[in-house]
Amino acid sequence: MILFEDVSYSYSPGRYALEHVNLDIGGAELVAILGENGAGKTTLVKHINGLLKPQSGRVTVSGADTKNSTVAALARKVGLVFQNPDHQLFAETVEKELAFALVNFAMPPDEVSRRVDWAMKEFELTQYRDRPPFMLSGGERKRLALASVLCYDPQILILDEPTTGQDSRQKIRLASLLKRLNGEGKTVLVVTHDMEFVADFIPKVVMLSKGRVIAEGSAEEILTNRELLMGASLLPPQLAELSWDLALQRPTIDLEQVVSAASKLVGGSQR
Amino acid sequence: MKVLYGFEYRRGVSVIHRIDPRSKMIYVILFTALTVYFVNPLLLLLVLSSSLPIVAISRIGSRWSQSIKGSLFFIAFIFIFNFIGIVWATGSVYDAVISGISMSIRFIALISIFSVFFLTTSPEDLTQSMVQVRIPYDYALTFNMAMRFVPTLSREAQIIMDAQKSRGLEMEKGNLIRRIKNYIPVLIPLIISSFRRAELVADAMESRAFGASKKRTSLYVLALGKRDALFILITVLSFLLLLSLRLVLGIQ
Repeated sequence: MILFEDVSYSYSPGRYALEHVNLDIGGAELVAILGENGAGKTTLVKHINGLLKPQSGRVTVSGADTKNSTVAALARKVGLVFQNPDHQLFAETVEKELAFALVNFAMPPDEVSRRVDWAMKEFELTQYRDRPPFMLSGGERKRLALASVLCYDPQILILDEPTTGQDSRQKIRLASLLKRLNGEGKTVLVVTHDMEFVADFIPKVVMLSKGRVIAEGSAEEILTNRELLMGASLLPPQLAELSWDLALQRPTIDLEQVVSAASKLVGGSQR
Repeated sequence: MKVLYGFEYRRGVSVIHRIDPRSKMIYVILFTALTVYFVNPLLLLLVLSSSLPIVAISRIGSRWSQSIKGSLFFIAFIFIFNFIGIVWATGSVYDAVISGISMSIRFIALISIFSVFFLTTSPEDLTQSMVQVRIPYDYALTFNMAMRFVPTLSREAQIIMDAQKSRGLEMEKGNLIRRIKNYIPVLIPLIISSFRRAELVADAMESRAFGASKKRTSLYVLALGKRDALFILITVLSFLLLLSLRLVLGIQ
C-alpha cells in the first residue's frame, strides 16, 4: 500500500530530515509512528500524500509513484489530519467545515449532506451544526478537524498527534474508531508521543530517530525494549516499566499478563 | 515571501552589527531623505551604492541580495506603470524610460538601506534603543513583536496551506477570482491563530508581571562609543557630499 524505497529528504543542505528510509506498510494495518522531536515523523507522513516529494528514492502509494500525482489527487486516497486544528478550520459553520473536502472532490449534494450528518453524529458534534468552528472548545476543534477528513472516507488515514488535549473518554472513542476503520480494511497511521495510547490500542510500531527508521515491529516487542526507547528519548509505557521492576522474564505491555505475574510474585491467587 | 529573508536579523559579529541602532538610524533617515530628494538616476545610484560598503563589512551579502532579488517583481511593476504613466502624460518615451529607471533605482535603494539596517540590528537592541530615545516601552515592544512574528507567520502560512491542500484544495486552479477565493481557507486560519497567539502571549507576559511597575529597568543599556562616532561621521560626511552634488553642481 505505502512503500518507501531509499527515501531521503533535507530542508537545508547537509542536514537530513529523512535519510535512506525504507518502509513497507501493507493493506489493513494500524501503525504508530514514534520518535523524538525532530526525528522526521511529520516529514515522513507528508511524503505519503505528496506534500513533499522525495529528493532521492521513491514513494509509492497503492502502486503509483507520488512524483506523478498532485496533492489534491492523492488526498482522495490519503487523509492527513494535522496536529493543530486551528491550522485548518476556517468555515462559517461546523457543517460547512465538514463539507469543504467533499465539495472539493465534487461529490453530489445529497452525498455531501449524508456524509456530513454521519461525521457530526460520529464525533458528537451534531448540536454545533450551525456554530462557527472557532467557538468550539479545544478538544471539540480537534475532533472537528479529524471529522472533516474522515467524512470523505480516505483509504489511508494519517493522524498527527490525535490524542493531545483529549480526555480519556475521547481517547477511548478515538481508539475504537481507529480499530473499526482498520477492521474495515483501511490503513491507519498515528504519529504520536502518547506511549500509553500506543501500548493500549495500537498493535504495530515504526520508530524513527534522527531521520532514520531504527525499529519496526509489534508494539509489544518495541515498547519493552529499554535501550531502543532511551535512544529515541521516549518514555516507556507504565506497564513496561512495571514489568522491568518486577523483573519479568518476558516484559510485556499487556495488563492481564502483568497482573497475573505480579499476583504470582506476591503469592496471591490469580485474578 | 523570500523578500522577507532580507529583513530578518541574523546574529553576526561584524563592526556594523555592534554599532548602536541609534547611529544606524541616522544613516537610514539621512539616506532615505536623499532617495526622495534626488531625481537623477546617477545620483540615486550613488545613494544605492552607499549601502554596499556596509553590506561588505557586515558580510550579509547573500541575505541582502535575496531582499533585492525578491523585490525585482515589484521593481518591474513600478517601472512599467511609471513608463506608461509618463508616456501617456508627456508623450516622451525618453523621459519615460529615464523616470522609470529613477523610480526603480529609488526603490532598490530604499530596500537596500532598510535591509542593511534590519539585517544587522537585533530586535532586542532595536527595542532598547527606542526606549532610550524615550519612545514608550509599550510602543517599542509592539514594534518588536511585529518584527519578530513575521517569520513565524510565514511558517504558519505554509503549514495552513499544506493542511488545506491535504483536504483537496487546489490553490492554482480556476480563473483569477476563483484563485483569490482559494486563499480564504488559508487567510482565515492565519488571522484567527494570530489573534489566539497574541492573546496567549499577552496572558503569558502579564503572568510574568508585565506592566507591574511604571519604570522598567534594563538588563543591557546601550552606550554610544568611538565606533559610533566614526560611523556617524562617515555617514554625515557622505550625506553632505551627495547633497552638495545637487545643491552646488545643480544636478537634479
